[in-house]
Parts: sequence; structure tokens; C-alpha cells
Amino acid sequence: MEFRIAADELKKALHRAQGIVERKSTMPILSNVLVSATKAGVSVTAFDLDIGIVSEHPAEVMKPGQVTLSAKYLFDIVQSLPEAQLTVKKLPNNYAEITSGSAHYKIVGMAPEEYPKLPKEESATLVKLSGATLLEMIKKTSFAISTDETRYILNGVFFEPREGGKVRMVATDGHRLCLIERELPGDFKLKGGIVIPRKGLFELKRLLEEAPEAEMSLGFAENSALFKKPGLSMVMRLIDGQFPEYQKVIPKQGERRLLIPRARLFDALKRISLLSAEKSHAVKVSLAENQLRITAQNPDLGEAKDDLDVAYRGGPLTVGFNARYLLDVLGAVEADEIALELGDEHSPGVLHGPGDGTYTAIVMPMRV
Amino acid sequence: MTSPRAIVHVDMDAFYASVEQRDAPELRGQPVIVGGHPTRGVVLAASYEVRPFGVRSAMPMSQAVRLAPRAIVVPPRPRAYAEASEQVFEIFERYTPQVEPLSLDEAFLDVTASRSLFGPPAAIATALRADIAREVKLNASAGIAETKFVAKVASDFAKPNGQHEVPPGTAKAFLHPLSVSRLWGIGAKTLPRLEGLGIRTVGDLAAKSPEWLELNVGSGAAHWWALAQGHDERPVISDREAKSIGAQDTFEEDVLDKASLKPQIHGQAVRVARRLRKSGLKARCVQLSIKYADFTLITRRKTMPTPSDDGQTLYRVAEALLEALPLERRVRLTGVSAQELVSEVPAAQLGLFEAPAGPSRTTRLNEALDRITSKYGSTAVATADLTEAGTADEGDRAMFHKPKRP
Repeated sequence: MEFRIAADELKKALHRAQGIVERKSTMPILSNVLVSATKAGVSVTAFDLDIGIVSEHPAEVMKPGQVTLSAKYLFDIVQSLPEAQLTVKKLPNNYAEITSGSAHYKIVGMAPEEYPKLPKEESATLVKLSGATLLEMIKKTSFAISTDETRYILNGVFFEPREGGKVRMVATDGHRLCLIERELPGDFKLKGGIVIPRKGLFELKRLLEEAPEAEMSLGFAENSALFKKPGLSMVMRLIDGQFPEYQKVIPKQGERRLLIPRARLFDALKRISLLSAEKSHAVKVSLAENQLRITAQNPDLGEAKDDLDVAYRGGPLTVGFNARYLLDVLGAVEADEIALELGDEHSPGVLHGPGDGTYTAIVMPMRV
Repeated sequence: MTSPRAIVHVDMDAFYASVEQRDAPELRGQPVIVGGHPTRGVVLAASYEVRPFGVRSAMPMSQAVRLAPRAIVVPPRPRAYAEASEQVFEIFERYTPQVEPLSLDEAFLDVTASRSLFGPPAAIATALRADIAREVKLNASAGIAETKFVAKVASDFAKPNGQHEVPPGTAKAFLHPLSVSRLWGIGAKTLPRLEGLGIRTVGDLAAKSPEWLELNVGSGAAHWWALAQGHDERPVISDREAKSIGAQDTFEEDVLDKASLKPQIHGQAVRVARRLRKSGLKARCVQLSIKYADFTLITRRKTMPTPSDDGQTLYRVAEALLEALPLERRVRLTGVSAQELVSEVPAAQLGLFEAPAGPSRTTRLNEALDRITSKYGSTAVATADLTEAGTADEGDRAMFHKPKRP
């Protein structure tokens, strides 16, 4: 195998691979990428047995073939080459030679035949979609995904096609929940919803961010998801199991409802939570007539408070919240004002854009 | 380790025998052996009065009775020892939270950070030994040094009812004249080999090179060489930082039927759970250890759906593990250990999918029991099977284990 490629092209492929390859795997070959040269060009494959991507790039291929090389070292090398072009040549015993201008590398590789095969998902029905919409949905929900590995089913986001060409995405860690519904027309041929794993979702987000307006498609088959855009395809295994019945925990309209300037609330929570307990991030949100007060207390540090003027005419109430949960939501939405609905000190707080039922965040209180 | 540490090793003197002498005035000053069956059991403890006859713990009772025919043999009272042990450990905690229990009657204390509060380490050892003598009415010996190993050797050196300090920088001078058998792991097999090579004292061993020792003695020898230099970096690990918390006890006589094993396992689960709660930890996983009479050790572990610090929950898991075991041989020892420890979330974050409620009934019950225990001792309230097992009459088969050197 021998080919000549622009360093920028290979860099792009390896950048895409970095998040997927396993650094410390029981299978050493999984920290490698599979580089394949064909008449059509060069493709770079990264696979961790759950998520795989194949990135295709133009190259001048002198001799087709395959090598597998360390994703990390190859990326480091390609980033520090003296010239804009490089030549990769396979040597005996799975070695590869990289030449760029005056620089010369001879790198140890592994047998390409041993690289695990990516599942072929030919049965997937691919649906063309707007990358920008999908990206927004991921950004507004993914922070609520659980990182607790014992709650396996919550380690991903629930993807549920609805009637009228809409798709719902729901993420929860058992303490808070984010739900977004957007137009994503097309028949995904799904019965109910599926759960996309956290790691795969973040890789998908990175790929979408490269060029949100580019043409792209998403489909599902068996127990995996397939994503394609020009020059790239990604396949990932879905999380198997029953996502909790999220509809049941979405409260009816809260008794106490108020509109708050989003940036003002964000800043207040941020500065007051500086004094909240390190682990719990607990702050108290207190309502009085036309006033919302945020307080934090820490026996080791002291206390803090900030008052916001709000239009509120109900009875007084104090609820404890994890400030980080509220900040995550406030940081993800763009609207100038946010509607906050509260019940009592044991009922969830509900946040959404004013008059917008398509994005809802539910945050359970803390006992303080 | 850059800054010098201050480690105190505290070891109770003839612990079980001393508790017996404390509680029965007629035993004071008498040769006392704590042990079970006169022909089949082993010596669990020997008072200082009986030691000149050559009686040592772990010796078969038949041999002990032959050596000291006039010794008074007392059946063990595990609950009394457990209670005294808890009082002693409470005293330790007054001086430092860095307490690593080795057994009921022995612990390492890291008092490095306590010096600004309580003075030099030797003064701390004096103070806590005085507390033990005054409040628990028992004697303890202490060794003070920069490392765990030297502190342990020093406390042995100080026995009975004394303390010995090895000041920083003098570990080698202290260790080198001692017999090599003082080094951990040098036993009956290795000792003659070392003597054959002309190594009798710790200093003899320290004078060799680690390479020479590896070549002539074996792969473990480099470790002894490091100890002989006074090097021992191992930290004192308290329950709070421990990777697991466990309790194990040896039966006074080997036991075959599962029904007799259960009360002991139950007691161990309860003890482990109490230590978990004290450290604000919960266990994801329970491990049951069974040692057969021929010293084969088997362990079985199970992960629980949710982490727990409840003694009954831990016991039910351990009991299920026991039931699943084909018990073919007599059992010498059982142990229950809590593993994969997680610290509790400090403030109560309410969950979306769980019914809103206060602390569970079990949590409230355990809180109440812990309050009773801290006031009246661990024997004040116990489940029925433990009450049966804990008394010193014929029904008592459970016995606490006095481990060898760690």
C-alpha cells in the first residue's frame, strides 16, 4: 500500500477518530485506526466495538492496501509535519513509513486482518434530516444524561418519532429531565422510541458541528443507528432496554408561575452557588411578593443571597435546588425570558421558554 | 514520603484473658487460658501469668493443659470482647480519625496531624493508654515510629503495659540488633535458610544487597531488605478511605452445619454495617469468606441492586451466598466484607421516578440502634439469633478471631 494525501485531510479523519478509539482497551488493536487505500481514495476507520466511523478522503493512491496504526501517535505526527503533503507506505511486518519533506517515520502497526469488522447496516432506512435541528436537540438534552453506570438505560437519550413529522428527544438522570420536540420529518420505521448512548451522541454532536447545514441522514436497523454525511458514515449500537415512562413525571401546570429574565437568573445562580456545598450545589429559591431570592449557605464558607424583581403575587415558598441543574438549562436555551413553574417544596420545578411547549426541563428539588 | 509521619501501633495486652480477669476478680493474678473444648479446641488467649509455662495463643488446648495443668480455663465471651474493643476504638478516635483496625484489639493510628493538638506522639500514646486504663480498665502497649512496621515491632518490644518510641532517624539502630524473624513474612520455613546463609539479625540482612537476597533467598527478599532499612511507605488506612470493610472470626471448634455458621455471619454483617454507617459509606457488594479446617479459603461475592449500610440487608446477601455453597468440610473461619464502597450523597436530592418520602424505615431504625449502641454498647440491642450466640453458655460456638501479624 502506498498513497499520497494532504495532511489536512488525514488530520480531519484522525480528529474524528480520537473520541472513539479506546486508549486502554483489553484489545490493543482498538487503539488503532484502520487506514484503507483504494482506487477511490483513502478511508480511516475507528471502532470501539460499540461505535464505529469511516471517514473517506481524496488521495493519490499508488498502490491499494491496508494498515492499522496507533490513532494517537498518527494524529500527533500528522499535526507536526513540515509539509502540507505526506506519503504513507506499507512496509513488511505491518510497519508503515510516513514521509513528508525532510521528515521520515517508520511506525509499528498491527495486522489489518485482525481489525474487527464494523457491522453492515444495509437494512437501515435512512432519513434525510436537518443537521442544525438535530444538533439543537442534542445540545438541549444531552447534559441531563445520567453518568451513573448502574442506571444503564439512562446513559443515553431517548429518541422518539411522534405524529406529524416530529421527533422527541428525552434525557434524564433521575433527578432532572429535559424534553425537546422538533420537526424532523421522515419515516424512521421505528416502533416507539430507542435510546442512543451518551458516547455515540457526543460523537454525533461533534460531527454535526463540523458543518450543521451539510446534507445528512439518520436511520435505524436492528439494534443500531446509522448516520451518514458526504465522506463519512457512523454506526453505533443502541442501549437495549425500556426507557422510563417519562410522561408520568411531567407535572401539570404548576401553581406558581413566573417569568424571569434568563441571563439575570443565570448570573444570580452562578454567583450565589459559589458558596453552596461542593458536591450538592444546593441553593434555596425563595418566592415572596414580586421577589425571587436565591440563597446559599455553607458552614465552612458562609452565606450569600441575591434578590431578583419578578412579577409574582402568590404565597411565599422556599425550594432547594441543585444550582447546576438549573444553570445547565438556562445555559442551553436562547430566549430572553424563561418561565419557571413551582408547586411546593417537594414538587419539581419546571422551566421552559415562555409560551413554548416544545422544550421543557424538569428539575427535582433538594431537601434543604 | 517527604515529611516524617508519626504512627502509633496500639495492641491490647492479652486481650481476652485481661477482659476475663477484669470482670472476675478471682482470676486476677492467676494463670488464665481463654479457650474452648479441652481436647479439641485451641488457646484463644493466655494471661501473662500462664505464659512462663510456654502457653501461647493458637496452641491446641490439649497441649496447653499439659504445659500448665493448674491454669484456669475460661470459656470465651465474644460479646464482652467486642464491647471492650468498641470502647477502645472510641478512645482512639479522640486523638485521630486516621485509625486502621487490624483486629478487635490492635490498630494503627496516624497521629501526624494530631501533634499540634495533643503534643508529641509519645505523649499521645501515653494519654490514650491512660484513657484506656481509666475507662476500660485494661492495659495496652504502644509502639511509636515513623512507619507502620517499626511501630508494630516497637509495641511488641514494649509489652506488657508499656510503650516504646523509635524517634525519627533511629529506625535502623533499633531494628538491626533484632532477630530477622521480626520481619513480616519470615516464618518457620525461611528462618533456617537465612540462618544457613549467616543472617541472624535484621542488621545481617540489611548488610546484604537486595540483588544478592533475591538470588539466594527468593523474590520476596527485597521487600524484607526494604523493611530492614526502616522503609515502609504504607499509609494508615482508616475505614473512611478503605476499599473494603470486613469482619472475620475463627470458630472455637470447626463447624460443619450451616445453621451454626449463620449467627456468626449475622454478627459479622451487623458489625460491618455499623462501621459503614460510622464512616458514612454504603457497600455495593458483599463478600463471604469461608476457611475450611484444612485452611483452604473460598470467597463468594454478590453485587446488590442498590448500595446498602444495613446489617440485615448485608446478612441476607451473605446468607444467600452461604446457602449456595456446597459445604463439604468443616469450617474454621467465616468472614463478611463490604466492598465497592460509595459515600452517601450529603444533601437529599429528590428523585423523579421514586416516591417522595423521608428517610426509609430501615435508615431510621439503624439511626436509633446506633444511638443506643453509642450509649449502652453493642450488646444492648441485638437480634434473637445473636443474643443466643453471644452468651457464654453451651450455645456459644461463635468466637472472635485473633489474627496473626498482618
